[in-house]
Amino acid sequence: MTQGNLGIEPEVLKAIYGQMARIRAVDKAVQAGLSAGKFQFTYWPMTGQECIPATISQLITARDYMVTTYRGIHDQVAKGVDLYGMFAEALGRQDGLNKGKGGSPHISDPSSGSMVTTAIVGAGAPIANGLAISAKERGEDRVTIVNFGDGATSIGSVHEAMNLAGAWKLPVIFLCQNNQWGEYTQIPTYTASPNFYGRAEALGFRGVQLDGNDPAAFHAGMKDVIDYVRAGKGPVFVEALTYRLGPHAGVGDNYNAAKDVLAAAKDRAPVEKTRALLIDAGICSEDELTAVEAAAKAEVDDAIARALESPVTPVSETLIDVFADVGSVPKRGSYPLREAEGEFSGPTETMTMVQAVLSAQTLAMDANKEVFILGEDVGDPQGGVFGTNKGLQTKHGDRRVRPTPIAESAILGAAIGSSIAGMSPIAEIMFVDFFGVCLDQLANHAAKQRYMSGSATHAPMVVRVQLGGGMGGFGAQHSQSLEAWLTHIPGIKVVYASNPIDAKGLLLSAINDPDPVVVMESMMLLYTQKDEVPTGDYRVPLGVAKVKREGSDVTLISYGWELLNCMAAAEELAKDGISVEVIDLRSLVPIDYARVLASAKKTGRAVVVHAAVEFCGLGAEICATINEELFGQLKAPAVRLGAEYAPMAYSNAIEMNQVPNAAAIIARVRETMKS
Amino acid sequence: MATTLTIPKLEMSMSEGTLAEWMVESGTVVAEGDVIYTLETDKTARDIEAPASGTLIQKVADGETYPVGTEIGEIV
Repeated sequence: MTQGNLGIEPEVLKAIYGQMARIRAVDKAVQAGLSAGKFQFTYWPMTGQECIPATISQLITARDYMVTTYRGIHDQVAKGVDLYGMFAEALGRQDGLNKGKGGSPHISDPSSGSMVTTAIVGAGAPIANGLAISAKERGEDRVTIVNFGDGATSIGSVHEAMNLAGAWKLPVIFLCQNNQWGEYTQIPTYTASPNFYGRAEALGFRGVQLDGNDPAAFHAGMKDVIDYVRAGKGPVFVEALTYRLGPHAGVGDNYNAAKDVLAAAKDRAPVEKTRALLIDAGICSEDELTAVEAAAKAEVDDAIARALESPVTPVSETLIDVFADVGSVPKRGSYPLREAEGEFSGPTETMTMVQAVLSAQTLAMDANKEVFILGEDVGDPQGGVFGTNKGLQTKHGDRRVRPTPIAESAILGAAIGSSIAGMSPIAEIMFVDFFGVCLDQLANHAAKQRYMSGSATHAPMVVRVQLGGGMGGFGAQHSQSLEAWLTHIPGIKVVYASNPIDAKGLLLSAINDPDPVVVMESMMLLYTQKDEVPTGDYRVPLGVAKVKREGSDVTLISYGWELLNCMAAAEELAKDGISVEVIDLRSLVPIDYARVLASAKKTGRAVVVHAAVEFCGLGAEICATINEELFGQLKAPAVRLGAEYAPMAYSNAIEMNQVPNAAAIIARVRETMKS
Repeated sequence: MATTLTIPKLEMSMSEGTLAEWMVESGTVVAEGDVIYTLETDKTARDIEAPASGTLIQKVADGETYPVGTEIGEIV
């Protein structure tokens, strides 16, 4: 038998079947284990889709990156993920690939190239772009393949990712395993599209439709696609036609499918067909294939038996892998005193906060060629909407300062993926209000990657984000203070400077931090503040608050632009003989409770002030801690002062009053001084 | 080593299942993969296969509905 008759080398077809047999053995073992009650985890069967990864496995190596989804056990097996580690992970055991913290829907195994597995439909596509950026920038010939189902084509992040990949000609393959079902809903119900590959053509890059159940045809088609992408010709969208024989979740048959449709799909299922082809073509004997299947079953049985011996990941692991350093994790009763920056004595220059941010980025880009900036309008001549990147694109080129489409999920995903690969991206999100359209990438992926992977991978990226507010005229969707959205998600560090010196020092620390850091920049401060800022590599450690004014009667605790109002209020109150200590938190996560509690203990009174809405704001958290830790030692309970519970008004009169101003702070301090 | 049989969770939304019928008598020697009972849920009926080879010991009656995780027997 020659390739001419089969359309594929016999040995390749046999190897593909070997992978199919391994996938089938895993699928059967999982379904049997769940049916027997031996396993208790949620399973999203991929029965019927085995041919796709089994075939691709013959065209890529462990160096190539893969991103997949919760319905991705077949992808993991064929990519070469160790089955023992995979089963131990699915069972939540400490010897799992990810210490039992991610489970089967979050496998991350860099040794096999299985980088990210997401349980959020479509969310892998923007991250795959970031992995592809790293390969391209490093001159590596890796391709990145991101698997998703046809159902994922409906969600915005896939569209954003496809558009960006096309614009940047990234070496990424969008592999749509079209199994005809988006969870429990099928194609005519959820889309009127006649196909999916045509969407790539609409975005200016190549799309192909292949039979994902025919190993010979799929091998030929994918070889061409992978060669094309590896050669640097840009991304390709592959629509691989198949059929999901199982339910969305659980075990057994796809009970939503009509009986005759399911029966027809089973007749076209690839494992049995490929097996028959190998025998009919005289490539393998029945005995040989039985031996292949027995070896696959033995491998799986051995992996499961050992995985069941691994201990369940213990409670002592709870706070490990949230951050690189467990000391950064907020925890009641644990208030480490972190070392502050030293007194600075080197050369300085007068800088606005804009110039300070630019100075930090200039130094970081000069020091490390893997630092790059991406975001809307970040290129020259404007150098970002606020000019914080002015000149950097001219100096470093458009590969290191990348203006993006208006697509925040694509921006953050590209930052996540490239940082997982080890680069140091700085993503700029023009207004914090826009986190509303991309919070999934930040909160479900950047924040959780270290934890879900048991530190197998992590996303050491920086997100610079600007905030309106305090200036007037930006309205309800460009003036919010949304830091509490971020501080409530374990895994993201958050800093918010009140002056140019700290802005530079915090940003340089953030860029060099091993965890994702959101750097908040008040638009008002960017333009209005000037300082003598160190010109060199100046760092302000994360998690260290600073006493900006010493006092003895009451402590004002604040951050960002509200700190200016606190300083003004302290000045006014001093005239009446009230001695106010003002603390600038600078870091919100990690938070410096050591210095906050020390000051509140000293003065006996504390007022936490922020521009964010008071209800459920960070002030509530800080006051609760002060009141609990210092109960009995305070002269008055710690209280908070934040914005009124209303969207930010366009009316200047309302805005300047709904957010705490100096007069409101003074009034709040006077109240607390009564006790 | 005995293998415990429990009512499995076949679907995310499944909290109980009906052991419709034992397909083999208690005390029978079964081989892994033999159908041993039929489980009915609100979505589907499914033949459940023996997860191991050995002697099936029934511990509960068929025709009854049990919560997920209930021990219904073992293979020794």
